[in-house]
Amino acid sequence: MGAALQNLDYFAFVILFCIGLHTLVARPNLLKKLLGLNIMETAVFAFIVTSGMVDGGAAPIVDGTVTGPFASPLPQALILTGIVVAVSISALALALIIEIYRQCGTIEADELKGVG
Amino acid sequence: MKRLLAAMVVAAAAIPMFAGVAGLPAPGDAGAPAHTRVAARYVEAGVRETGAQNLVTGVLLNYRAYDTFGEVMVIFAALAAVSAVLSRGPPARRPAEARPQVETSPVVAFVIRLTAPFIAIFGVMVILKGHLAPGGGFQGGVILGALLVLLSVVTGRGLERPLLSAPAARWLQAAGPLAFAVVGLFGLACAGTLLGYPAGPGADMLRAAMMLMLELGIGIGGAAIILWLFLQMRGE
Repeated sequence: MGAALQNLDYFAFVILFCIGLHTLVARPNLLKKLLGLNIMETAVFAFIVTSGMVDGGAAPIVDGTVTGPFASPLPQALILTGIVVAVSISALALALIIEIYRQCGTIEADELKGVG
Repeated sequence: MKRLLAAMVVAAAAIPMFAGVAGLPAPGDAGAPAHTRVAARYVEAGVRETGAQNLVTGVLLNYRAYDTFGEVMVIFAALAAVSAVLSRGPPARRPAEARPQVETSPVVAFVIRLTAPFIAIFGVMVILKGHLAPGGGFQGGVILGALLVLLSVVTGRGLERPLLSAPAARWLQAAGPLAFAVVGLFGLACAGTLLGYPAGPGADMLRAAMMLMLELGIGIGGAAIILWLFLQMRGE
């Protein structure tokens, strides 16, 4: 139980991830599915950045004015990459949704089943 | 039935994740394995080895430059894919009266024109100081891209008459991959590995110049790509 309370931050991110996953699975609207995907991505980013945090640590900018401890720079760099990839995914998904709307006139997944 | 299925999917994902994070070291614990190996080496030797005081930039452009190269290619590929999807076939036009025409408020337009030079200077500063202070190519590129999007909105310039002329824009959109190609091949020539950096204390200026070129390429390319993504989605 002690470990569970220590890792409260991580539990919050798991809950956020599940909110996103539920939106992605349960909502028929394609735009809402994309929003759900973005919520999941945000949860993962927050989780990884938090894992690189140090109590009382400074931002990893070593210019001589601050002496450690420093937060780990590696998760931050990885998540910067991840954010750019997430933007690319969102852009492509939005473009596909626009094209689906042009072709089929709807972006509801259950209505799209009937469109041949 | 559907709701039950969705709840089951979420539960199936949630239970292992909860069990997993419960066993992790507490966030902020300086003795966690995440801080004692790779990160400790980066913090200890990063400034000396990369020449970047901002270690995040050092990791992005030096230790893990391949990752960043891949990331630049991903966003470039996303632009290509969006162009391919949205330029296919004639758009199904809705009747003109159905399209809501909202005039931009003159106050908004004036304020955006007034602040534009300052936003541009801020964006360029974030790009150029990325190796010393918080910032970097992507962040500055997003600021510049947002500025270009705002100006496109208030001046009403769409794809047919974009802010940047089409031939120039094509090169600017490819600025990221091009910068990586140039710097990567230069590194191959003087350090023996693709995206390698010349070693030694005398090469500090050269390494700084290489990083600056990557940052500029990423920033300018990112801004142009963001503008084009926006223009294509806004349509005609």
